Amino acid sequence: MLVTEAHGKVLLRAAAVATPSSQELRSLDEVRACRIDLPVAVKAQVAAGGRGKAGGIRKASSAAELEEAFGAIMAMRFAGEAPASVLVETWLEIERELYLAVAIDSRVGGFNVLYSPRGGVNIEDGPPPLSYPVGLARNFRAHVFRGLLEPVEPDARVRERVISVARRLLDIALANECTTVEINPLVVAKSGALVAADAKIVLDEAAAFRRAETAAAIATTREKADRGIRLCEEANLMLVWLDGEIGLISGGAGMTMAAMDAIDSAGAQPACFLDVSGNPTPAGFGLAFDLLDRAPKVKGILVSMFGGGLHTDRVAKTLVELLGKRTSVKPVTLRLNGTRSDLATTILRDGGHQNHATLEAAVADIVKRVAEVRR
Amino acid sequence: MSILLDADARILIVGITGKFGTFSVKDLAQSQTQVVAGVAPGRSGQTIAGVPVFSSVAAAMTETHANAALIYVPAVVALDAVLETVEAGCPLIAYPGDGLPVLDAMEMRAAALAHGAYLIGPNSPGLISPGKAKLGFMPSFCYRPGPIGVISRSGSLSYEACFRLSQAGLGQTSVIGIGGDPVRGVNAAEAIALFHDDPETRAIIYLGEIGGSEEYALAEYAGRPDAKPSAALLVGRTAPAGKKMGHAAAMIGSHAESWSAKVTALDRAGVVIARDLDGLASAAATALARAMKPAA
Repeated sequence: MLVTEAHGKVLLRAAAVATPSSQELRSLDEVRACRIDLPVAVKAQVAAGGRGKAGGIRKASSAAELEEAFGAIMAMRFAGEAPASVLVETWLEIERELYLAVAIDSRVGGFNVLYSPRGGVNIEDGPPPLSYPVGLARNFRAHVFRGLLEPVEPDARVRERVISVARRLLDIALANECTTVEINPLVVAKSGALVAADAKIVLDEAAAFRRAETAAAIATTREKADRGIRLCEEANLMLVWLDGEIGLISGGAGMTMAAMDAIDSAGAQPACFLDVSGNPTPAGFGLAFDLLDRAPKVKGILVSMFGGGLHTDRVAKTLVELLGKRTSVKPVTLRLNGTRSDLATTILRDGGHQNHATLEAAVADIVKRVAEVRR
Repeated sequence: MSILLDADARILIVGITGKFGTFSVKDLAQSQTQVVAGVAPGRSGQTIAGVPVFSSVAAAMTETHANAALIYVPAVVALDAVLETVEAGCPLIAYPGDGLPVLDAMEMRAAALAHGAYLIGPNSPGLISPGKAKLGFMPSFCYRPGPIGVISRSGSLSYEACFRLSQAGLGQTSVIGIGGDPVRGVNAAEAIALFHDDPETRAIIYLGEIGGSEEYALAEYAGRPDAKPSAALLVGRTAPAGKKMGHAAAMIGSHAESWSAKVTALDRAGVVIARDLDGLASAAATALARAMKPAA
């Protein structure tokens, strides 16, 4: 999970990576007591990208401007998220902006070190950064990285400093179990020192069982999350809300995405990615239907399960019971295929429901019925 | 032929006394697969469905000459179990579990490479060579023997995709689940190389998704003059950027990780693209036809 810049910079400083003088502020009283020398950068603290382009970073040269920037930023939303605080930092005198990151790369099978002599907000528009595939952090070699840097970074002093910061970023990634530690921009200050002006750090959620800080960050995010997402996480379902109107209940990440794409091909859009394979029980399906029946944007529900290890006759029984008690009038289309699907079809038919043979037939049915409801 | 797993497979199950382990013993027995040993510390001397249980992988290997291992232990102890199995000399290992810390996946991969072993997983249903043997928990009815090599990042998608291929008469040499996590044992490039070297595999089908960079390995391969024909289905065309779609690695973090960037690269390299699951069997048939009638 992505942590805020302020949290990320705590991790950077702990590994002796220089950051500007800063203070995290949550209230107007704290803003008035702030002792950072003006001018300052005032930065929204949200765990979402694109903050700078969205106007979440401002310059303040006076106490009045600082107060105004604080109020304006706290009222903004970034990808739906309200900032929990702002970070106020000494305004940096910038000689040059670099890009430096360590990130897990699937093709490397471990860490990749990425460097660009021209960092900043438009990094994605420029040529791809230099890549040093390290793999295990202990395989990092300064001389190998130096050899790669020489044609890209002509300033030997900057080069040596970049090498030493890169090693520290790998130390941070190991010590805190991070999948990404990115500094963009890494500023070359007038003094020649390298200062991390931003920090994008992603913690490995799977390591929460042995990293108290990761577990705490997950708990904080869950408290702030949408009620449905929170309930699903607790029930071992996977929910992502989307913009369409077809409520999709499916099994497995890949098949749920395949069903989303099939809905798109049929001319409609999914309202969610909802994978119940982690808990295909009456409780799991019950929660899924409850959430989709309550969500106003959901106009119809498609249940599409392919039984591998899952016995579809059990799912059919669960669905017949659930649908019998359900009060919502939103149309529901069912498709159970795979293990024991003949039995499932019989159980559904006896319960008054049709089992569609294929994903495509089921998608066509629910798209048609939702279109009829809207008419 | 097939890749990595053949009819002579002698499988040992680490964690055989757990729920998944006991299910798997029975399931593999129904799939013509020989399970010769189980491992559960402190349970040596017991049997599970007729399979002898040993306290360590080394003891099980010595006694039974197992040549492949299926590891069903929780993520918390998975690295230890895989290291034990690698160091006992087992040449082929599947770790299907999910929720594994990525640092542990990196260590597993490095250990397997250092010992010349093949590791499949994490977060994968394993490997099957239809009609020969199965090292995993995928539903056997979805598969039938044939000339297609299948590589998949998603378990659920591979079941239904192979079910559809089999129904269309397009059987498989082997189907390997490379897993939904960002760091894996056998990766896409390595799986492609294995299928390339397998004389019975005539065409390669790749089932991928958004996020990560594995798909570019297929684009690079397909551009080679000696490449076998290939087809690909990538899911997540409609997934928004910045959201994790179930799998740890299924998130669009940059343009290169998007559906359109990957499909464009594959298409340019000559990979037959299935836009949907619906188009998969015909894309696979097209690739196979190219293998049967080489271009002049």
